[in-house]
Amino acid sequence: MNRLREVVAEQWEYRELLVRMTSRDLLLRYKQTVMGFGWAVFMPLVNTAIFSVIFTRVAAIDVGMPYPLYAFCGLIAWNFFASALRFSVTSLTSNPSLVTKVYFPREIFPFSAVLVSLVDFAVSALALVALMWWYGVAPGWPLALLPLVVASLVIFTAATALLLAMGNLFYRDVKYLFEIVIAFWMFATSVVYPIGRVGGRLGVLLALNPMTHVIDAFRAVILEGRAPDAAFAITTAAAVVLFGGAWLLFHAAEFEFAENL
Amino acid sequence: MSAVVFEGIWKKFRRGERHDSLRDLLPAVVRGLARRRRPLDLAEQEFWAVRDVSFQVAAGEALGIIGPNGAGKSTILKLLTKILRPTRGRIEMHGRVGALIEVAAGFHPDLTGRENVYLQGAIMGMTRAEIARKFDAIVDFSGVEAFIDTPVKRYSSGMNARLGFAIAASLDPDILLIDEVLSVGDVGFQEKCVARMRELLKRGVPLVFVSHNLAAVVDLCTRAILIERGTVRFDGRPAETVAAFRRGRRDAEPAVRPASDGIHITDVQLRRADGEASPLFHTGQAMRIQVHYRAPQPVRAPHVAIDIHGVDGLYCAGINTRMDDCALGTLEGEGRVELVIPRLNLLPGSYTISAGILDAQGLRPLDLQSHAYPFSVASERKDFGVVYLEHHWRHDAGRAAGSEAGDAGAPAASAPNRRSMEVVGAGGARK
Repeated sequence: MNRLREVVAEQWEYRELLVRMTSRDLLLRYKQTVMGFGWAVFMPLVNTAIFSVIFTRVAAIDVGMPYPLYAFCGLIAWNFFASALRFSVTSLTSNPSLVTKVYFPREIFPFSAVLVSLVDFAVSALALVALMWWYGVAPGWPLALLPLVVASLVIFTAATALLLAMGNLFYRDVKYLFEIVIAFWMFATSVVYPIGRVGGRLGVLLALNPMTHVIDAFRAVILEGRAPDAAFAITTAAAVVLFGGAWLLFHAAEFEFAENL
Repeated sequence: MSAVVFEGIWKKFRRGERHDSLRDLLPAVVRGLARRRRPLDLAEQEFWAVRDVSFQVAAGEALGIIGPNGAGKSTILKLLTKILRPTRGRIEMHGRVGALIEVAAGFHPDLTGRENVYLQGAIMGMTRAEIARKFDAIVDFSGVEAFIDTPVKRYSSGMNARLGFAIAASLDPDILLIDEVLSVGDVGFQEKCVARMRELLKRGVPLVFVSHNLAAVVDLCTRAILIERGTVRFDGRPAETVAAFRRGRRDAEPAVRPASDGIHITDVQLRRADGEASPLFHTGQAMRIQVHYRAPQPVRAPHVAIDIHGVDGLYCAGINTRMDDCALGTLEGEGRVELVIPRLNLLPGSYTISAGILDAQGLRPLDLQSHAYPFSVASERKDFGVVYLEHHWRHDAGRAAGSEAGDAGAPAASAPNRRSMEVVGAGGARK
């Protein structure tokens, strides 16, 4: 516990750098692309259109609300998770001069990748508000729990980001494995369809996927006007523990980074 | 209490390629489980980059670290900056560490100079308010004002380094680490850097200075250690340590060792015009090289020879008493032979002096200290090469100048404007 307090304190000391690195990446994207933040809205909209065709025309399913709203809400949360991890996985290996030549807490690399994606997430959430207005869906009092749900999502994402960034530094295969895993993972999560309806042994297995509970909770507080369930509470507690553990592990391995890059 | 404590440090490295694919993970894990190694055991392909090195640096002290390439100097610096962690030992750093190492490592080519100042400043541990407060001073120091809103990918490497150094120099560190920064930028910029280091040192900021520039180490440091093959070979005053380093190199060469009862050089001192012993000289100013000797037995009519080499090994000058028909007579006991160079016409750079005493025929060296005495030359002259040739320019346009001797460089007689100019090359750079 003391060790954890120490690493958090050090991170706090370098908070300025975390903000700088995050704004560096946002600024670069703004300078290097024409659409800038437009991509954050455009990509999930395209996906929503595709899945809307599939799940309303080809294989219609009932999700208890306008399907595009269901899909878009799931997709922006999932996109945050996936893109944060995609940036994180190469965040250490793509900054060799900083990792091998200057000291600062290395967590800054995956953390700033998460923060950059969080900004995109916030931008795309604006489009969600527009969609809700279009379909006439109003959130209820459970919306007050949204910060908790987002915090849970961010913590789980950050924990995974730490592990992936570290893993890829030591074993470059991780980057490729990640691409495969993340593609499967999306379809094992209730992103574009309610996976909770799968029964039997597969259903039990799928219920172990923390992202399903987080995304279900996200949808629940925004669109369904109900509080998250117990599974979400357990998932959040597990995410916090995982985060602490991942951070300590990362910190312990940190000194090896310069030698292994 | 010392600001820097480096105690009993060992650092292990691996030679050769490192496993970084999952294919290698399994065998590595199995091997790891099969035998637990104690930290001081060396596995195959492993070696000690640093072996049991200890030193402390107190406030106001400047520690120089010298040694041959690959001796472990940079590893020590990386251990001090926490980039590497020692295999064994204890490192304590009290206060904020400023490292003049890789000063532009955080620069992103697509960001402007201004944006990079904020980014690099944050990497060095400064807050936004602190950077904003020092911003003008940083830009001023770097001399890139005109390009501060240009992406740094358009900068020359010199501008890049200068901006990076300016950020690092603006830091108010409690401890300063320096690695060969004196090679950044032109002479004017280097002098600014040295002035900044002296200023910090005067304020009591402890300094660790790793360099190949022995003259700079002697000039700046209060203490120096010699690192060879990962261990401390010598620890003492900078001049003594530099001397130990020279001795080591001399011993490594097919050495000329004076006979125990023969004449030998006890010291060589380099003095400036004002008589001050210093390894720093100025183009065009006087240099006096004093060779101290001791001759237990009389030596008849020996000769003294002085060679000057550039750091890259270029033979710049060779002077000896035999060629100058200067007879020293019989030498006995202790004495001193002085070579006076009224105007040292060397351009800025680092040089070494070799001193020798030869027999009467000028053939056999009785004692020879090769490349043993370093010095450096500074000045505002920006000529290329190693030697300053006193010169001036003349331009005779529109005259039949081609036939006139001594007009090298004059343009052809067809130049349209009738004009003549004479530019004298800063009159021997005497200040």
